[in-house]
Amino acid sequence: MSIQNPSRFLLNHVGRLDVRRHASDETAALVYRIVLVGAIALALTIATDGFATSANLLNVLRQASLMFLLASGLTLVILSGGFDLSIAANLTLSACLAAGAMKSGGSPVLAVATAMGCGASIGLLNGLAVTLLRLPPFLATYGMLWIVQGLAFHYMGGNEIFGFPNGFRALGTGFWLGVPLPVYMMLIVLIGGTVLTTCLNFGREIYAIGANPEAARLSGIPLGGRRIAVYTISGLMAGIAAVIYLARVNAADSAMGEPILLPAIAAILIGGASLFGGTGTLLGTLFGCVILSLVIDGMNLLNLNANWQPMMVGAILLVAVLADALARRQRGRAH
Amino acid sequence: METMTTGSPLPRLELRKISKTFPGVRALSDVDLQLYPGEVHMLLGENGAGKSSLMKVLFGAYRADAGEFFFDGEPVAIGSPADAKRLGIAVIFQEFSLVPHLSIAQNIYLGREPRNRFGLVDHRRMHADAAAVLGELGLAYDTRMQAAELGVAQQQMVEIAKALSHDARVLVMDEPTAAISDREADALFAVVHRLRDAGVAIVYISHRMKEVFDLGDRVTVLRDGRLVKSMLASDTKPDELIALMVGRSVGTAYQRRYAGKPGDMALEVKQLRTATGVNGVDLYVRCGEIVGLSGLVGAGRSEVVRAVFGADPIQSGRVEIFGEEVSGGPHKVAARGVGLIPENRKQEGLALTRSVHENLLAASLWRLFPKGFYRVAQAKRATRELIDSLRIAPGEPAKRAQFLSGGNQQKIVIGKWLSAGCRLFIFDEPTRGIDIGAKTEIFALIERLVEEGAAVLLISSELSEIVHVCDRAYVMREGTISGELPKDRLSERNILALAMHEEA
Amino acid sequence: MTTSQQQKGLRSTVRRKRPLPSIVWVSVALAALAAIGVPGFATRGNVSDIGLQVAMLVVIAMPMTLVILSEGLDLSVGALLSLGGVVLAQTLAMGAGIVPALLAAAAVGVLAGGVNGMLIARLGLPPFVVTLAMLGIARGMALVLTDGNAVVVATPAVAQLYAMSILGVPFPILCALAAWALTHVLLYHTKFGAYVFAIGGNREALTLAGVKAKVFHVAIYATSGLFAGLAALLLIGRMNAAEPNAAIGIEFDAIAAVVLGGTSFERGDGWLTGTVLGVVTIGVLRNALNLLGVESSLQVVSVGVLVLLVILVDSLRKSRFLGAHA
Repeated sequence: MSIQNPSRFLLNHVGRLDVRRHASDETAALVYRIVLVGAIALALTIATDGFATSANLLNVLRQASLMFLLASGLTLVILSGGFDLSIAANLTLSACLAAGAMKSGGSPVLAVATAMGCGASIGLLNGLAVTLLRLPPFLATYGMLWIVQGLAFHYMGGNEIFGFPNGFRALGTGFWLGVPLPVYMMLIVLIGGTVLTTCLNFGREIYAIGANPEAARLSGIPLGGRRIAVYTISGLMAGIAAVIYLARVNAADSAMGEPILLPAIAAILIGGASLFGGTGTLLGTLFGCVILSLVIDGMNLLNLNANWQPMMVGAILLVAVLADALARRQRGRAH
Repeated sequence: METMTTGSPLPRLELRKISKTFPGVRALSDVDLQLYPGEVHMLLGENGAGKSSLMKVLFGAYRADAGEFFFDGEPVAIGSPADAKRLGIAVIFQEFSLVPHLSIAQNIYLGREPRNRFGLVDHRRMHADAAAVLGELGLAYDTRMQAAELGVAQQQMVEIAKALSHDARVLVMDEPTAAISDREADALFAVVHRLRDAGVAIVYISHRMKEVFDLGDRVTVLRDGRLVKSMLASDTKPDELIALMVGRSVGTAYQRRYAGKPGDMALEVKQLRTATGVNGVDLYVRCGEIVGLSGLVGAGRSEVVRAVFGADPIQSGRVEIFGEEVSGGPHKVAARGVGLIPENRKQEGLALTRSVHENLLAASLWRLFPKGFYRVAQAKRATRELIDSLRIAPGEPAKRAQFLSGGNQQKIVIGKWLSAGCRLFIFDEPTRGIDIGAKTEIFALIERLVEEGAAVLLISSELSEIVHVCDRAYVMREGTISGELPKDRLSERNILALAMHEEA
Repeated sequence: MTTSQQQKGLRSTVRRKRPLPSIVWVSVALAALAAIGVPGFATRGNVSDIGLQVAMLVVIAMPMTLVILSEGLDLSVGALLSLGGVVLAQTLAMGAGIVPALLAAAAVGVLAGGVNGMLIARLGLPPFVVTLAMLGIARGMALVLTDGNAVVVATPAVAQLYAMSILGVPFPILCALAAWALTHVLLYHTKFGAYVFAIGGNREALTLAGVKAKVFHVAIYATSGLFAGLAALLLIGRMNAAEPNAAIGIEFDAIAAVVLGGTSFERGDGWLTGTVLGVVTIGVLRNALNLLGVESSLQVVSVGVLVLLVILVDSLRKSRFLGAHA
């Protein structure tokens, strides 16, 4: 039997894995992700030596938490039908400014405040560009990416800043009750974010805007204000993630955020959010972060050349985008 | 049926017993049509009479379910646009198929550009050919101009030239003068005459009586998908045509149970003007009454209500809702207790990928939860009540809205506003695409609304709907109100007379 | 209806000359400003330096014009340039001649571009995400192939070619001119070019005309990849080595040049010569800022601001021009 129409074949078979007739089938989607996590974990346990140790697993959890802090804000933006390419550059600049603050004698508290302020400001500017200037989100945030990156380069002058007070570093490297601190941060953001999306009017409105912006507008939902808020939150989360990253790696340079952008986007898509808006959850994004962290950890444990990782992430992103588009078509067709 | 001809004995294109049915709707039933070369054949009928379906069948966009086609006496099949193209049937749609930043010549020859011996486009020949085609229509456009630089009327001429360059022998024009001025229309008529003299069979859909008699050689009236009468233009009068277009439509005779008792002023519109084509509109709606807004497609009815709702910007004029002036976007207007059930319910009224429950709450989140904290249990109770009282089927709140029938989808949109405590409901073609049973339910719902003290403004293109459901009606024509009809003068004939560009 | 419309002839038209996009004045003004205000700018050596620097940008900005005309975007060109350079250098190191090596680089570019095109045109995925992912893949591949190190070019032929001049015109500038000429013919003298405008301006018009729009849409991205692969010659010619992390951010300059030149992101409106002027403007701006001691990170900000200004001005002028007709 020959396949006469490959894309239709793919649609019918792969897509059918995800036939969602009821909106409540989000739970089914989460089950798939849990199974995927389990499968990867099982495969790695068998294939490698050091995977199934508590040290390694906690490390994976730490990495996933760091990724999640950044991806959580972007998830919100994507839910509302927008996009933010600037979060990695945002993280870089916020971290560099925070590092600079501490290096000139400021307290860790000041550093955290600086990072959050920087992050939120960039987010706010993105939001204004999208709502007031009516620029398409990917364009506005792409321009912002370069501007922010340029400012970070300028600020750092090609140097690194390292060596921060122990109290600060603990935020990224420390443990409490045997669990890395970033994991607690992750839980707070997860719970807070989930409350926002499920228990606040604001959250419900975000989903409505993402699912059909015109229908949301004609239902009396103020698009502009909500969008500005969502981009500002995304920027703020980048600022918070910057603090934890800075604490973890104990150094700031003008390229630190760059390798995190693609993994974050891939994680969000793997987690079930759709680029077209209106679909997805923070829990899903967390699973996406876990899955991606497992894959990266696996690549390390299997002694795969580190140079392979960016390519793998790019390929995973492509596959995730593909799956999103196919699922969307399937959703529209399933009856 | 009369078969007198103006010239040659054989029709260029003949349709016999053409029928087309969609689920729940008979678009065309046993339609006969004869198009003779060198004749301008006017096609008349109110909205929904079947004109656009007939056009689409001619063009091959729809496949007829029954009936035959004959071209110059020979049986042919028109199953696709390619078939129609091959036969020389061309249609000028209202949305033009021009590429804005290509030249006139490039647009005319898109897809069949002449090549020179290097395999590159032969610009000289393309422009010369284009100029020649335009010349046949008596036009002398600079073919290097981009389509975007042309006005609407000129773009239309280019579309006609494009069709002609395909050796069109049957040309269908759908309300070509709808968006252009009288002066430009004269130029268009000159072109139509040229085409007619060159032997093209022209089908011309229009609502303007003046055009029908100035331009038309033959007239066909459709009603409810059926052919009513075909005759020479010289054998008829405007009054007769209107009488033929109107008539007791099948099955939509809804009976009001409750006579409206008008209360407070809900909506007052004064001298409304917008950039979308509203040219000075005054109307009012009171609580307890159903006011109709009628007129032909393109008259500006949707534009008026969109402006009232804040969906489109207002250039000048006043909108007062429950006594207070309102300006701003939909969120400001909706907060005053106004709800819009849009014409395009799938794109603008619902989020199809979201559940019934979520759609029902889209407008009432802050009313139900003023502090901003959404509580699932309470929300579910609210939507359960709505689903039950509106009889939305299937009654599963978690089902995606896209899987419900048109009628039930409409109930969701109405329910959305009920939940928001709406007191002024604006309906834009609420029963379009809905079967008879559901239509009656919607009307009963609307009646319940005014019984409970709400105000309703109802746009409908089905004349019988306006007549049977409304307490009174405004009729719009070309951006203004051409008349207001109180209950005792509310008849299909009167509405149509006011709606058409009648100047016989 | 406006009075100007009623006064227009309906049987005949007079073609109003479209006003030149702002880039014409901006580029001249900027060059003049730099010549006067920046010491060291208006020397023969400096001007030829600018030419060499922008030559590569011209080559990739040409197909980028097509991409943006079709309402798309290609963020992967910088990565494909770098990858092309790596493939070139490594193929040369294996003993192949320049032509086969170039073909290899071109093939890689076409392949990547073709994948972009298939995903965007046939599956309707958003261009920025697809080309962003391709960017990651291409950079990753370059890293894998070189293990993170630079690859020195084995033969001296490349450096010689790069330094060559024919009739006084340096080789890189010849490449740029060739790319411009080729793209000009493609865009304005073939049916492919007309279809590019149609894909961006009114896709339905193509389907109604019976044209397979998707095929040409894929071809647009394949062309972008092809030019990137070929331009890699210029990339490695300069340093005589291929680095996996070269040409970072060049796609931003390419997009900026296209937009500066008057091509809009929607409705299929654009001007190829404008893109060339845009490239020259960016080259002049960066060069002048360099001479003034402004570091490259802030140069990017300046380019961005310039683009914003020109976009705003052009859209105002365009709506006035068309508004008189519409």
